[in-house]
Amino acid sequence: MGPVELLHMSVFSQSFSPCGRFLAAGNNYGEIAVFSLSAALSPDASQASQKPILNFTAHDGPVFSLLSTDTHLLSAGNGEISAWSWAELIKKSTKAAWTRKPSYETSLEIPEINAMIINPKDNSLIVGGGDNNIHIMDMETGIFKSVLKGHTDYIHCLCFKEREEEILSGGEDGAVRIWDSRTNRPVHCIEVFKYEECARPQFGKWISCLATDSDWMLCGGGPSLSLWHLRSMSPTSVFPLPGCQREAVFYQDLIMSVGEGPHVSHCLHGGTVKAQIPCTPSSLNTLALNLKNTEHRVMTVGGSSHQIDVFTNFSYRAFSLSF
Amino acid sequence: MSSDAVKKRKPKVIRNETGTPETKRGRAEGDQAVRVYNEEVELEARDPQQDYMLYKDTCAALAKLMAEIQELKAGGAKSVEIEERRTQCSVHFITLKKLNRLAHMRLKKGRDQTHEAKQRVDVLHLQLQNLLYEVMHLQKEIGKCLEFRSQHEEIELVSEEEFFQEAPAEISRPHVTRDDQHQLTLARLDWELEQRKRLAEQYKMSLARKEKIQKAIEQKREYLSSLQPGLQNIMQASLPVQEYLAIPFEHMQKQAEVSRHLPPPLYVLLVQAGAYGQACDKNLSVSISGDVDEAKALSRPPEDSQDDESDSDAEEEQQNTKRRRATVGVQLDDKRKEMLRRHPLSLCVDLKCKDGSILHLFFYYLMNLNILTVKTKVSTTTDLSGAVSAGSLLNSESLLNCLYTSDHGKETPNPANRYQFDKVGITTFADYVSDLGHPYVWMQKLGGLQFSSDSALTGSALSASHMERTMKLLRGRLQARLALHKQFSSLEHSIIPVSSECQHLFPAKVVSGLMRWTMMSYQEFTELGFVQHVLKAGLVRETDLFFMAVVERGTARLLAAVVMNPRYPEVAPLFSLSLHWKGERSGRTDDNLQAMESEVNVFRSELQGPRPGLQLLTNQIQRLCVCLDVYLETESQVCDGSEGPKEFPREKMCLRTASTKPVIRVNFSKLRFIHNK
Repeated sequence: MGPVELLHMSVFSQSFSPCGRFLAAGNNYGEIAVFSLSAALSPDASQASQKPILNFTAHDGPVFSLLSTDTHLLSAGNGEISAWSWAELIKKSTKAAWTRKPSYETSLEIPEINAMIINPKDNSLIVGGGDNNIHIMDMETGIFKSVLKGHTDYIHCLCFKEREEEILSGGEDGAVRIWDSRTNRPVHCIEVFKYEECARPQFGKWISCLATDSDWMLCGGGPSLSLWHLRSMSPTSVFPLPGCQREAVFYQDLIMSVGEGPHVSHCLHGGTVKAQIPCTPSSLNTLALNLKNTEHRVMTVGGSSHQIDVFTNFSYRAFSLSF
Repeated sequence: MSSDAVKKRKPKVIRNETGTPETKRGRAEGDQAVRVYNEEVELEARDPQQDYMLYKDTCAALAKLMAEIQELKAGGAKSVEIEERRTQCSVHFITLKKLNRLAHMRLKKGRDQTHEAKQRVDVLHLQLQNLLYEVMHLQKEIGKCLEFRSQHEEIELVSEEEFFQEAPAEISRPHVTRDDQHQLTLARLDWELEQRKRLAEQYKMSLARKEKIQKAIEQKREYLSSLQPGLQNIMQASLPVQEYLAIPFEHMQKQAEVSRHLPPPLYVLLVQAGAYGQACDKNLSVSISGDVDEAKALSRPPEDSQDDESDSDAEEEQQNTKRRRATVGVQLDDKRKEMLRRHPLSLCVDLKCKDGSILHLFFYYLMNLNILTVKTKVSTTTDLSGAVSAGSLLNSESLLNCLYTSDHGKETPNPANRYQFDKVGITTFADYVSDLGHPYVWMQKLGGLQFSSDSALTGSALSASHMERTMKLLRGRLQARLALHKQFSSLEHSIIPVSSECQHLFPAKVVSGLMRWTMMSYQEFTELGFVQHVLKAGLVRETDLFFMAVVERGTARLLAAVVMNPRYPEVAPLFSLSLHWKGERSGRTDDNLQAMESEVNVFRSELQGPRPGLQLLTNQIQRLCVCLDVYLETESQVCDGSEGPKEFPREKMCLRTASTKPVIRVNFSKLRFIHNK
């Protein structure tokens, strides 16, 4: 990894380990790096503890999505999904537990996988990617049980509503579709760009981030980041953020989002932008919160740089991990 | 009482107190008629002890008589008794007087006897002293005699056995000498003398012989030297034959002769380069140029360059003060010139390439600094002109820059030179580099000079270990630069030369075109806004070459700042992009531009082209144009609903438009897929 390569690295995905002490990050060269948070956060941390404890090439293409189950780390790259046991990773062994590929219709190209989520109710993995479809795989058997078709362009992001057991998907075609996971049928379709408050035609109509919190939904991308009330299917507040947002999460009573521009935006439900915290990468792709572990409660963001910023207090950047 | 008796015989008393007892006795015996009263004789007969008792008695009697007188006088005056007593007292007095006299005489006698005895003792004592002195004297004499070293003992004589064996009988005379040590020594000395005489004779004879032989040698030498002109003539005559047979015998010999006067590093270089050329590389040739006589003049006094310098310094100083009292500056200047003096002989190494171009390297040796420097020249078969930006490519100053990493040849590699420079006030060697040539480190190694403690090799081993690699690098460098030169002249005419072998890397139709290709200086480069990340990452050095390429399509203008390491193509050029289209974006602000940068910077191995990868730059520029095409076409797809016809109709077969995840890589993977199919 020469200096030129480091200069052109982008971090696309992150995931914390089930115990909350390790962070896995995937970059555009197909590598996954595992960082030890406990070492980096300890009082006698040094330059070396901000380097990964393990760095290996997982896929041929960029790793766009990482997801952690209770025991495994799932990574998606180059159209396939690989699972790595966390216990093995901590022991620095890089042998994949399994690698599976959803069945793609077209053989002309290998569509990339952009988003993965877990449905805890029936222990299935929901995958959305470049072939415009959502694939559902049973975690125990590994068989892809169903395909949800409906989008006309590739899918950027997925989200799961636990109470109603509904899957939300946002895609390049500008539509947010809501599917019932039990019946696998579409329930709603919201075309965000058709709403004047949110639409930003100069950026496009694509939706790149989705988040839900019981009745509320956040979505953004080409259109501005907006907070929707799902019962009434209407936007309640629109956030005046300049760039396109790529990931947004609900945290306590704040909304945190990252996207174009070197900052993390803290917004309130009312629609005001409370703060914009500056960070190292010039634009951000991914934001992750480590809520499982109270000791290492941090927020990490990564983007178009080889450095991942770590926030111990969410108001300012504490230090950076680097690939 | 006996004294009384003697006293009563009273007639004549002849006192002979002064005479010696013997004479007295004699006289006493001779003269019987006269009764001599010899008291000394009497004295001998009396006993002192008795005399003492007599004295005491007399004193007691006297005291008694006195007492009686006293009594009588006190009692009555019987003058007869008193008179009687008085006469008795007087008699006693006389006795006392005699006793006194006797005592005196005894004393005197005793003294005389003592005196005599003393005299006798003195005489004996003196005799003893004399004898002792004589003894000492004699002892000293003996000692001196014993210490006497005769000269004959300093002569080394052969040992006794040898002597008896070798010496003839009349000299050794064993019957005599075996018993008599003195005779033996004499005999040995004789023998020694004989031998020495004989040997002296032999020596004279040997000297005479030597003289004769010496003369004979001289004669033969003269004869040989007279042969020399004859041989020369023969050599001259054989030159045409040599040329005909293509064995440059004489040339090599001449070279060998001249090379004897080369300083050691140049000599090592000559030998090693010649050997390498003969063994591995037929296109390498070495020759010596310069003034041989000066070199010979240099080598005649001891080859110590320190002496040279100080001598000439002293001379110069003297001259200066005598003549015109030169300023300190001029003196310093002269000293500097002296320090930087070059050896009159230099080596010229020619590297020929397949296409006929030749790289001439002129190696010089700086004597006082003990380093080698090089000047270069390139001669090509075709005329190289028309490429403005290529000005510095083949420039002699920078042609060999950084042949090995960070070997930029501006500073002298010999650490000792620092002290020498301080003495004459030279601050940096870089000022003199253009005059004297570049002192690259690889060159010192080729000359066998080792200044760092990297390896234990010196001299020829060091040179041999580096020769092959350096020659290959030199040749590669020349070829790369020549190729770049050609490419640049084409780029300046806005044509990107893509060779047929690399055509498959790009799609058939590329609309974006290169508008301009110019060279930049380091200063101008650092002032650009969109290259700061490269500077911060430490990937740029002052020795690099900087260029600016402008690619245009319609209203979009892409500026690419290129950093080229002198070791191109081993180190790939680094591109930084800035796009002027509906605003300004750079690789830092726009992810798509960053993807384009990665495309040419990171994935450069695909763009290398056939070995030795000289097409890298042009392929990178071509790829940049393709990227711009794709970007513009897909971007304008995205921005729906804006004015009028799309500026960039879709000409490439892009299967997808993508807006967030970096466009280009995704599309490129598709494009590549198509091409590979």
